[in-house]
Order: sequence, then structure tokens, then C-alpha cells
Amino acid sequence: MRFSVSLKRLLCLLADGNFHSGVDLATALGVSRTAVWNMMRELKELGLEFSAISGKGYCLSRPVELLDGQAIQKALSPATKPQIAEIEIHDELDSTNSRLMGLASSGSASAGTVCLAEYQTKGRGRVGRVWHTPFGGNICLSLLWRFEDFNAFSGLSLAVGVAIARALRTEGVPGVGLKWPNDILWRGSKLGGILLEVSGEAHGRYAVVIGIGLNVHIPSSRAGDIDQAWVDLDQVTAGHPPSRNRLIAGLLNELFLLLPDYPAQGLQSYIGEWRQWHCQAGQPAVLHLGGLAIRGVVSGVSDDGLLMMDCEEGGLRKFASGDLRLRTDA
Amino acid sequence: MDIRKIKKLIELIEESDIAEIEIHEGEESVRLSRYSASQHVISNSPAQAQQPQPIALAPASPQVPEEPPGHVLRSPMVGTFYRSPTPGAKSFVEIGSSVKVGDTLCIIEAMKILNQIEADKDGVISKILVDNAQPVEYNQPLFVIE
Repeated sequence: MRFSVSLKRLLCLLADGNFHSGVDLATALGVSRTAVWNMMRELKELGLEFSAISGKGYCLSRPVELLDGQAIQKALSPATKPQIAEIEIHDELDSTNSRLMGLASSGSASAGTVCLAEYQTKGRGRVGRVWHTPFGGNICLSLLWRFEDFNAFSGLSLAVGVAIARALRTEGVPGVGLKWPNDILWRGSKLGGILLEVSGEAHGRYAVVIGIGLNVHIPSSRAGDIDQAWVDLDQVTAGHPPSRNRLIAGLLNELFLLLPDYPAQGLQSYIGEWRQWHCQAGQPAVLHLGGLAIRGVVSGVSDDGLLMMDCEEGGLRKFASGDLRLRTDA
Repeated sequence: MDIRKIKKLIELIEESDIAEIEIHEGEESVRLSRYSASQHVISNSPAQAQQPQPIALAPASPQVPEEPPGHVLRSPMVGTFYRSPTPGAKSFVEIGSSVKVGDTLCIIEAMKILNQIEADKDGVISKILVDNAQPVEYNQPLFVIE
């Protein structure tokens, strides 16, 4: 665990984005000024940038809105509240998805359990692509739900994309689009991603963990680690991102609107809207699939959520998996 | 039904793309199937192909399942096959691994849903039939458990 209790207390003191003198901080924490300086360096390693000015003290380069269970509860809709079993908030986790998958397999978590983390050490994109999360700079949200049979959640990953796009719109985030199957894009750059993990349980039931990652603020010092065009809510909203806690509540409100009826409604209730959010139709692309690079033009998605691509070889084909990248050489 | 006839049928089916054929002659019937798992039996062991007893069928018995040695675990969906939870991580199983019902053997990803595929039989993994990160079809054999 890299994140100690005193480091968290220091961060809470600095979260307002104002200057705090080293003496005041040292007194509040009951440590020496040298210890404060060392802790500041630890915060920097976690992705939090600050300035230190002699005579004024320390100041984070921007205020941090830490995860706050009460603030989230307050912004939940009356329909959502009773469906939530528990909201876990962690300073640091390997990944919120792994946490809930573990709880599900040990049978110790109910459907409707929500897990949030300020910082993930092993956040994942699709099978292992690292999802970068500086401390407090992202939304890392996972939700456990259960389905009675395998077909009941067919296409759910696309429907979750619609739910997130709706939540972002409600919070006033403009210009969001979807990339197959469910990346959240803004002007072609990645704003967020979704990863669902499924395991079978007793009596033919399935535990489904829905993991959502959204960039809220990624400091430029971290940008070099990311291998694709990305964007954060700070940039999208010109420096006025929605409240992190309220956006989390908004995401939960949309998810709990979607999940209870999904087995009856299915993807067909969402595919039309998915297509409206789709922002890559008609674009030249290449699909990387099992060592192959399949070139074509993105045609759309089928009613069951498969990618339809007009391929240079083989014409119109459908795909269930693969990594889609736009081409600029067309 | 004449055993030579059945042998001839097997040869015919091997030369073709036919997955399954059923022939009725009076009260007798024979049904040959070469679904993936059985392919290994037919194509990999000519000795068995020349002795069609396991395939041939007594009159009145409606179906002849061609069981390969061991239990074949098939893909429940179209997607991409992954042998480990994350790239570079240890594989869930190797050839020779002992597995119990419910153990995760692989992940199949489709539309960014990672589905843990579990053993449906206790035993030892004797074959891994798909390479990591390769696309798989519905019902494609993935593992043989003996």
C-alpha cells in the first residue's frame, strides 16, 4: 500500500487548491517539515502536481475533489438508492473490477455493490491494456450485477456505452461519441472506456462486473505513458469539469435504469440510440484481430451489437472482437 | 448395413465439407458426424478410420456420438480466446494441469465482455486447441480434458 493515512490527511488539507504553509501542514499532521516535503514528493509520484513557493507554502496545481460517499448518495435518484447494496470507496486498489470479481466469486457481495477507487495500480483496458489513473484524476467505477442466464446480458457492453453517454450529456459534457464496442470518445480522442467481466455461478447464474473508467484530469506529466489519443473532462469542458461525485451518481442513475429491465428489453431497446452516438460510421479503419490487420470501412453495428465492416477483402463482414483503429492512409 | 458401405461413406465425408450425414436404408440408418472433436479421431488416427466399429451403428439406434478420447470443452460464443487474465500473466492452465469443475480455463472476449470459461468436468488438460489471442467460433473445441 503506497497510500498511507497521513498522506491522505495531507491531501485532504491541500484538496482546496489553496496555499498551505509547511509549518501549518506539519503541525496539523504532527510531523516535521521535512516529512511534509517527503510526502509532497510522494503525492507527485501519484500524479498530483503542486507548486512550492518559499514564504507561501504548498499548493496543488488544481483543486482535487476526493471521492465522497455522502455527496454521491445525495445525488442519487430516488429510484437508484434502494437498488444499491453498498458503495465501497478505496484510496488505492489494483483494480475496481478485480475487487468485485473477487467478492463475487467468494459469494460475499450482493448485486448492486459499487466499488470506487481514487487510484488503481492495475487498472485494465481490454485484456491487459493498462488504464492510467493518477490519484483522484479519474473515475474508476465498478458495479456488480447478476443475471439468471447467459442470454440475458447479450450486448450489454454496448448498452452500458449508451448509459454513460447519457450521463455525460446530463452533466453538461458536450460532443461525446461512441466507438465500437463502447469506448467513449470526444473529437476522436479517448475520454473513457468500459470493460465487463463475467463469471458463471451456481444454479446457472452469472455475475457481471461492469467497469467504467473516465478521464477527469490527467496531468501532462502522465501523458507520455499513453499510447493513443486521449482527452480528459478538463479539456472537454474548457477547465470546468462536472463534479466528480455528482457525475458518479449520474452514471449510477443511468446504470440502474438500464440493468433491472435489461433481460426483458435487451440490446434492441438501445441499439438505435447507440447508432446515434456512433462517431466512426463511414470511416476507413483497420481491425486488429489475432495477428491479422483487416482493412476496410466501418459500416456500423448489427442489431446484436457486432461490428460491421466493409472489408477490402471479403466485403461486408461482422466481428465480435478485435481492436479497431481508424486509418489516415485511405 | 454393410461395413464396407460405411467405410466408403466415411471416405466420402472426409473428402467433402459435409459436417454430418444420415442415411436410411429400410429399417436401418446410419449417421456420421465429423464435428471438430471427431475430426481428430478420423483424420489423426487412420487405424480407427479403418475400423469403423465405434462409428458404425446398430439398426434402430438413432445416433452415434463419436466421442474423442477425453472431454472436449467448446467455445460458447464467437470472440477472442485468451489463455491468461492479462497479457504476460501466467496462463490459467497448461497441458497437464489438473482442473476441477468451475476452474477458469480461459477468457473469451466479445464486444469487450470478458467471459471466464470454466471447466465443466474434473480431469487433466490433455490438449489446448487454440493459440492465445486468436479468434474462435461458436462451438469451436478449445480444450480436451481427460
